[in-house]
Amino acid sequence: MRPMLKITDLSATVGEDSEAKTILNGLSLDVPAGEVHAIMGPNGAGKSTLSYVLTGRSGYEVTGGGATLNGEDILGMDPEDRAAKGMFLSFQYPVEIPGVPVMTFVRTAMNAQRKARGEAEISAPDFIKKSREVAGMLNLDAEMLKRPVNVGFSGGEKKRLEIYQMMMLEPKFLILDETDSGLDIDALKTVADGVNAMRDPSRGMLVITHYQRLLDYIKPDKVHVLAKGRIIKTGEADLALRLEKEGYDGVLGEAA
Amino acid sequence: MSTALRDFIKNPTAAELELVARYGMQPEDARRERAFLAFAETGLPHRRMEAWKWTDFKAALKVLETPAAVSAKDPLPHDGALVFRFTPKGFEAPAKLPDGIRMVAQPSVQAFPGAEDVPMGALAAALAGSGKRPATLTFEITSGDAPRLHFVFEGAGEASFARIIFLVRSGASLTLTESYLGGSGLTSAVLEFDMEKDAKLNRTIFQRGASDEALAVTAIAHLGAEAEMTQTTLAFGAKVARMETRVVHQASGSKLNLNAAYLSGMGFHADITTNVRHGAPSCVTRQLTKGAVLDGGTGVFQGKFFVPRKTGQHTDADMQHQALLLEDGAQVFAKPELEIYADDVECAHGNTCGALDDAQMFYLRQRGIPETQARAMLTEAFIAEALGMADEAVRDVLLAEAQTWLSS
Repeated sequence: MRPMLKITDLSATVGEDSEAKTILNGLSLDVPAGEVHAIMGPNGAGKSTLSYVLTGRSGYEVTGGGATLNGEDILGMDPEDRAAKGMFLSFQYPVEIPGVPVMTFVRTAMNAQRKARGEAEISAPDFIKKSREVAGMLNLDAEMLKRPVNVGFSGGEKKRLEIYQMMMLEPKFLILDETDSGLDIDALKTVADGVNAMRDPSRGMLVITHYQRLLDYIKPDKVHVLAKGRIIKTGEADLALRLEKEGYDGVLGEAA
Repeated sequence: MSTALRDFIKNPTAAELELVARYGMQPEDARRERAFLAFAETGLPHRRMEAWKWTDFKAALKVLETPAAVSAKDPLPHDGALVFRFTPKGFEAPAKLPDGIRMVAQPSVQAFPGAEDVPMGALAAALAGSGKRPATLTFEITSGDAPRLHFVFEGAGEASFARIIFLVRSGASLTLTESYLGGSGLTSAVLEFDMEKDAKLNRTIFQRGASDEALAVTAIAHLGAEAEMTQTTLAFGAKVARMETRVVHQASGSKLNLNAAYLSGMGFHADITTNVRHGAPSCVTRQLTKGAVLDGGTGVFQGKFFVPRKTGQHTDADMQHQALLLEDGAQVFAKPELEIYADDVECAHGNTCGALDDAQMFYLRQRGIPETQARAMLTEAFIAEALGMADEAVRDVLLAEAQTWLSS
């Protein structure tokens, strides 16, 4: 079966011409629908760059290779078009948007995506009903959803709001970038419950994390180790435990 | 034209000669002459005058002529308001005004102290009385719950002038909205507010014109003890458009909120100029100006707080100006000035100009919101703060107008 997300020999740089720095260096990775893959790696390995290159943030230049989602080349698309195709990034550092209430933001995003796909807009009552269900699952206060996006939110609230957006938008492919950072254990469980509720035979996930801790709650089908811009080792879920015990140096030394 | 009239202004432009000729056709009036001389001292203000260095009427207005564009449609609601309409030749007012609002339309010019500080205001005072229009229109407000007064400036013509004086008596309150809709080659209006003890004023100004028109709206307000004035401006600019407000806190405890938003596109110039004098102790000024400018557009912010040594003690004043340069080629000129001689005051100011935040833009687009819409959303949220204190009858309309402009 063709993988849902297929990354082939992907290279990318960050920065302006002469100071461009290669961050991704021939990265290949396949994630089939229905699977959760974890990407682990030391600081500076290129984990966040991978998430930004896949979602189309400016400032990164693809210098080689490609990436397809369900067979479609996504690297040439605008970020909003990738979103409409189902790509969702849960940000490591969610951004504050002063003056734009959460509900307004999410509804605008949802309808923009639907419009791009040629679907009808969601009605206000349907949206509110769905929002109430999702917020309930994530223990999000209704008042919080009326406040401007992420403004004055705690680290944990911001991450829960990322998951709220994910569950509202129901994307096809999820990238979770360091979703566990800044979370206490209760918040981590809530977030993981949300992510696990999204597991579906038709949906793929890439979970980027520095520590193994998150993978106790979101069990991956595969674990990839990213170092120096490429995948240098792939294994089952127990690879994460080995990394935790032996450290990246131990595992990388063995691979090198 | 007689040599004497010609000599009023040095090296006059065609537009200035036309203004002198219009003055020559007015009935003789010593106060009119004083006002016109105050204008003629400089002629149309220009870049070599410090206060006008970024907004040059002389260069922008070579001749007086009727512009190609017609007036914009008035977005502010007329329902529930007493509507007064100025056109280049006419003036219309409701047949009857309720108790608590008295209007006097006079053919003579009233004294205009301080005319030399405001050349465009002086011009308006000198030439306001043409056709069916009164030279001075005076309102006396004695009611605490008078309906909103709405002034519309529209209609085709070469030039349109108006002078309006408001006396807001002790304890009375006035809600005032003004729509400057263009259609005239030159529009200059001067409004004076004399606010007695405990008087309240909520003033909203909506301005939209064409890129071949010049507009000056000059307001001069004196605040009595504990008086409160809140002003909100939404300006889209014109070839040159200057919204100038001068406020004097003249008795203790008065409070001023002075907010403005300008949105300036290709070929448009919007100037927000303010001057606030804390001439009495324990007065408060809160000023917030926000701007968003596109390629080929110009925004100007000049703000000044003057706090004298003796009378300005315990002043509490804050001036903020924030501008977004939405595209390359957008221009914003800003000059925030605090001149403080009193030592026991709280005064602050901030001034920023920049582009939309890349991280915010990417966040919105990653969620599926297209670039244009994302930009409009962020800019609207940025601008909205400056419109939040407008009277609730017009606040949503201002936001909607800003939103429409940003989305187009």
